[in-house]
Amino acid sequence: MADSDEEYVGDVTEDEDELQVTRGDNPRAKKRKQRGGAEWELSRTWETLVEGADGTISSTVEGLLEANKRKRLLKDTTPLQRGIIRHLILIIDLSQSMSEKDLRPTRYLLTLRYAQEFVREFFEQNPISQLGVLGLRDGLALRVSDMSGNPTEHLTAIQALKTQDPKGLPSLQNGLEMARGALFHTPSHGTREVLIIFGSLLSSDPGDIHQTIGTLISDKVRVGVVGLAAQVAICRELCTKTNGGDETAYGVALNEQHFRELMMDVTTPPAAYSQKESASSLLMMGFPSRTVETAPSLCACHSKPSRGGYLCSRCNSKVCNLPAECPSCGLTLILSTHLARSYHHLFPLINWIEVPWRRASKSSACFACGISFPSVPPEDQWLVTESQTKGMSVSSRYECTACHSHFCIDCDLFAHEVVHNCPGCQSKGAE
Amino acid sequence: MNTVDASEHYELGATDLAPSLLTIVIDTNPHAWDILEESLPLSKAIANILVFINAHLACNYANEIAVVASHTHKAAWLYPSQTLSHSTDQDGDISMSTDTTPQPNKYRPFRIVEDQVTRNLKELMESTTPDHLRGNTSTMLAGALTLALSHINRRTIAWAEEHGGANPDDAPAEGTAPSNRYSASNEDEKLQSRILIVSVSGSSDSAHQYIPVMNSIFACQRLHIPIDVCKLSGDAVFLQQACDATKGVYMSLAEPRGLLQYLMMAFLPDQRSRRHLVLPTRVDVDFRAACFCHRRVVDVGFVCSICLSIFCEPPPGSECLTCGTHLDAGNYNSKPALLPRKKKKKKKVNGASGAGTPISVSTPGS
Repeated sequence: MADSDEEYVGDVTEDEDELQVTRGDNPRAKKRKQRGGAEWELSRTWETLVEGADGTISSTVEGLLEANKRKRLLKDTTPLQRGIIRHLILIIDLSQSMSEKDLRPTRYLLTLRYAQEFVREFFEQNPISQLGVLGLRDGLALRVSDMSGNPTEHLTAIQALKTQDPKGLPSLQNGLEMARGALFHTPSHGTREVLIIFGSLLSSDPGDIHQTIGTLISDKVRVGVVGLAAQVAICRELCTKTNGGDETAYGVALNEQHFRELMMDVTTPPAAYSQKESASSLLMMGFPSRTVETAPSLCACHSKPSRGGYLCSRCNSKVCNLPAECPSCGLTLILSTHLARSYHHLFPLINWIEVPWRRASKSSACFACGISFPSVPPEDQWLVTESQTKGMSVSSRYECTACHSHFCIDCDLFAHEVVHNCPGCQSKGAE
Repeated sequence: MNTVDASEHYELGATDLAPSLLTIVIDTNPHAWDILEESLPLSKAIANILVFINAHLACNYANEIAVVASHTHKAAWLYPSQTLSHSTDQDGDISMSTDTTPQPNKYRPFRIVEDQVTRNLKELMESTTPDHLRGNTSTMLAGALTLALSHINRRTIAWAEEHGGANPDDAPAEGTAPSNRYSASNEDEKLQSRILIVSVSGSSDSAHQYIPVMNSIFACQRLHIPIDVCKLSGDAVFLQQACDATKGVYMSLAEPRGLLQYLMMAFLPDQRSRRHLVLPTRVDVDFRAACFCHRRVVDVGFVCSICLSIFCEPPPGSECLTCGTHLDAGNYNSKPALLPRKKKKKKKVNGASGAGTPISVSTPGS
């Protein structure tokens, strides 16, 4: 990798003398660092293995698996104020350095694949947010897809990139300026964010990137960077300055999995800053219903004849796509399903608690799926089993503290990660 | 790209296709069935549904069925029943010998389903007291859907385990990426699940369950489980959205007496067959939402920009009831500012030309 870095510098000095080159200070000395660099400690999983009574380790392995599932599950359930209407520009490095094969199959293809996943997940988590995609190639910023709330547009645009090859040098400044331009007109109640996937160790810019950083700060744009090679000083500075001194927005991927995690972290809505940086306001919105007419008529937004469409709930003009602003009365029109998608952030399901053997005899099967629980052993064995297991329930039962029903680990996971409903509370109702 | 993969598998491994699991949610709200009493009593509807279930089971020997009742005060399993293991251990034998009339010609799975559904439904109805019905006309749709989804999840996991390797990316994704685990990787090799809701209650009754119902709908959407709705009376807003979001079939029956006919024709095909069919689904969808403050169904609402809660009127004190943020009501209710019309100054065409003329005249003169 260090070799290829030298090549870049060579290219720059030959071809683009007039450009300022901002590059990582001594890439040789840089190790791939993770955010804090503190997660390098090994966890010695083999030391926690204990032989079961029958001499095998299967019970412990199962326990570890279950504990692992559970760990992922126990997250903070206090509802946060989140600036959910987000405006995010995804900037993808499409320069030469992306053709490296240290991430399989190549950095380029992997990035594009993850970018597509990112788009899907982003709209899953942030239903009425806007996203735009830019690329950095040949020293220019390339518009891949415009700001819009429609995931399929972005997905097809990113898909189309797969047929092209990465080439040239990236210019962070050009990319940031274009992103700033795209975010410029966004309303104040939303966030303005930029996420850069950066595979290079340099940025070949036409001007002073520090000025650009200054304007980004004054425009309240937050920038996050996921590096693929090594830490680059300018990226760190960029993230730190635009995030109010917070360095966590910059991460360097250790491997494919870590890369994915870093990207997917960005999809969760950021907690709103405590200081009033954005005015919170009450928005009047319409939830129009879809109609299909017998004869085509012109839509108010594009003046194209169409049969299907949504009628504005205030003035009855027809728009063909949602979310949109009614062209005639200015009412924001959205699909209520878009809003409802984010409600599980507002009313998160409380974490379920582990059930000790003492209370386990209450149930014999999972309330939701009916799988039978292990039967309660005699009282003298309780302590033995309880000391063995950490992070999981000894009796394999998990209890909802509201309805006191018992569930299995799979239903626990399923309820917290997918449905966001408690089967017990919902089916018992108000008594 | 996924679709290309899926279709290839479909072409190659068409010999042994995954069975489908049909989960039926029956709305057993007595208030609503009372209204329907003349055209289609509940007993008749159940009989029709049982025939439909048999048809589903007969399609493929491995097909599975689950039935949930969404009652006024609780949601309960009708089949497979939770207490099954208990009752067969203790009094299963006795009940078999007493009430089963010998039906040697009946296909055993048919009989088991029929027995359990009718028995559990009877128990459910007997356990319903007038207290439960008083002042409560809604149905526990959210609970029933959640139970159905949990069961589908359980069966999907079990099925994938039985047919090891059917879901190869499950293992690496286990510890790391929760989204992978639940995203449909290869649709043809998975257990095909779908949900059918036989609904009778109206929409206004279920407005208080708006959020849980929507949560279940999104879960279905994520898992690619279509929700079919067979609406016998009333019209439910949220169920239309459910069908629309999950690409299911929505039918509002004009003639409830023909329930069986509708079920057989519109709801029997599974996902694989549906790809080749034109589905009788609804084109206009009611996308209204329920507000958080009064549980009204609204089409124009006020939305908090922080948490996206919907209110039917600006909340008291301009404070969001959900997140407590003080909200700028903006320029709601203010009259649009009218710009005073400017008086058009008529350009004095004549005067201008008149001013120019003397100059032009003067030039040659000087």
